[in-house]
Amino acid sequence: MEYLWGGIKGAAVLIIRLDAEVFRTVLLSLRISLTATLIASLIGIPVGFLISTHEFPFKRTIITVFNTLMSLPTVVVGLFLYSLLSKQGPFGPLGLLFTPTAMVIGQFILATPIVVALTISAIQAMDPRAKITAMTLGAGPLRTALTVLSEARFALTAAVIAGFGRVIAEVGAAMMVGGNIKGYTRTMTTAIALETAKGEFAFGLALGCILLFVAFAVNILFHYFQLKRG
Amino acid sequence: MKPLFELRDITKSYNDSTILDIPHLMIKRRGVYGIMGPNGAGKTTLLSILAFILPPTAGTIYWEGVDVNTMDSHQLRKKVTLITQNPYLFHTTVEKNVAYGLKMRRIQSQKRKEKIEESLQLVGLSGFGKRMACELSGGETQRVAIARALALKPQVLLLDEPTANVDQQGIEQLETILQELNEKLGITIIVATHDTNQAYRIADEVNYFFEGKITKSPMENLFKGRIVKKDKDLLLFDTGRIHIALLPGRKHVSHIAIPPEDIIVSLEPVATSARNSFAGTISQVTDEGDGVTLTVDIGEKLRAKITKRSFQEMTLTLGSSVYVSFKSSSVETF
Repeated sequence: MEYLWGGIKGAAVLIIRLDAEVFRTVLLSLRISLTATLIASLIGIPVGFLISTHEFPFKRTIITVFNTLMSLPTVVVGLFLYSLLSKQGPFGPLGLLFTPTAMVIGQFILATPIVVALTISAIQAMDPRAKITAMTLGAGPLRTALTVLSEARFALTAAVIAGFGRVIAEVGAAMMVGGNIKGYTRTMTTAIALETAKGEFAFGLALGCILLFVAFAVNILFHYFQLKRG
Repeated sequence: MKPLFELRDITKSYNDSTILDIPHLMIKRRGVYGIMGPNGAGKTTLLSILAFILPPTAGTIYWEGVDVNTMDSHQLRKKVTLITQNPYLFHTTVEKNVAYGLKMRRIQSQKRKEKIEESLQLVGLSGFGKRMACELSGGETQRVAIARALALKPQVLLLDEPTANVDQQGIEQLETILQELNEKLGITIIVATHDTNQAYRIADEVNYFFEGKITKSPMENLFKGRIVKKDKDLLLFDTGRIHIALLPGRKHVSHIAIPPEDIIVSLEPVATSARNSFAGTISQVTDEGDGVTLTVDIGEKLRAKITKRSFQEMTLTLGSSVYVSFKSSSVETF
């Protein structure tokens, strides 16, 4: 009990003092996850929109695949990416393994199916009159699409937040392709795993609290936008 | 001058059922047209086709004499604006809703503001600009949708049941606005409505639709039934209560209608060439101004329109026994 209490006190001190090491780790985590989410959204939203607004063979199968990929195990993504980026792998010469770029790629792979699948459901749930109204007011195909996306903005924001929530909290891919290098690829989740193993309980707990806070904020935002959607 | 719209052999089908079938229809510039008919008659489908948002399954549409297949549909859509039944407003302010179409036409900001204010004023909603669209009532939503279309001053304004959720005062207001738009700006107006009186109040020409087809007259004396006897020179249609003789030729008939003007009313059975003759009693008399409409119970209730003079000469009253007759060729079949 003494041990636990000491850890909590130590964590509080680290947070209140704005410990440099803690905050560097937090900022790096946010930078990597926000970059990955941004790229996933820039690609995932248009892809989701095109899938939901067009008819083509195997459409249902493709939607099922994206829904399944939402629960892709993070270590499997880590493993897959490791095999591609390691020295023997096809992309080995690029020297990306154990870099923040590799982590962004890993998190991008994890976030994209979530953004795509939730975009598909958001667009399918849209009132069909939005499209007709835009068209009859003289909007061309691109403006009509942008209008429909804009009308679905709350649901799409929820999709992006869900993607971010997934990657900020994942540890498998970050650990395997980032390598947990201090000050370079060490994120909140990988640091917690390492520091706890090392017995630096206070440090791990401080990061855990901040991560919990971020996850909590993400969830509140997600529900806020989900409610707004309806 | 070439008509704005000319439709030739237009059909619209979903799966195997044809919901619209128009051999020929012309819409002239500056005209006001009424489209009437029951639910499912194809009114909304026709308006969507005229708004260029729904392509017909077959047939050709000419815009000012040019086949629209050779034209850019996006540019065509800018000439025609449709106000749908239960209009959709974008999730933003009233002002931005009205601004939308103007932006699509690259109207400058200052000019846009003027047009927004002007059109909101026209529908009696000035001062509503900053309100959120989702906070409006049904009637207000309808009026914003109309203002949004008016601001564009399109060549053709299509309205689908525009007064469905509007109170009497609102209806009068809207009809006045439509008349002004037509007279002052020369906008061609096409209104789909259930309301016969409204159609005649505002339209120069009223087209009746029934099951996707244009019919000559309003569907009066409309009966559902089936053909029970088929001869070389005669079809017998059973409404469930009476049998009516039709012209041969049609294979399948599910509905018939008899124009009230084509029904002859007499006190004695008369020898005519009309194939259909029935005895009945008068159950209702309505003064229509230019004539009298009698409802005659012949097993089915049949409405017949006669002149005031004949009505007086025959000294008809409620309960009078009369004979009604009409030709097989007068019966419209569907």
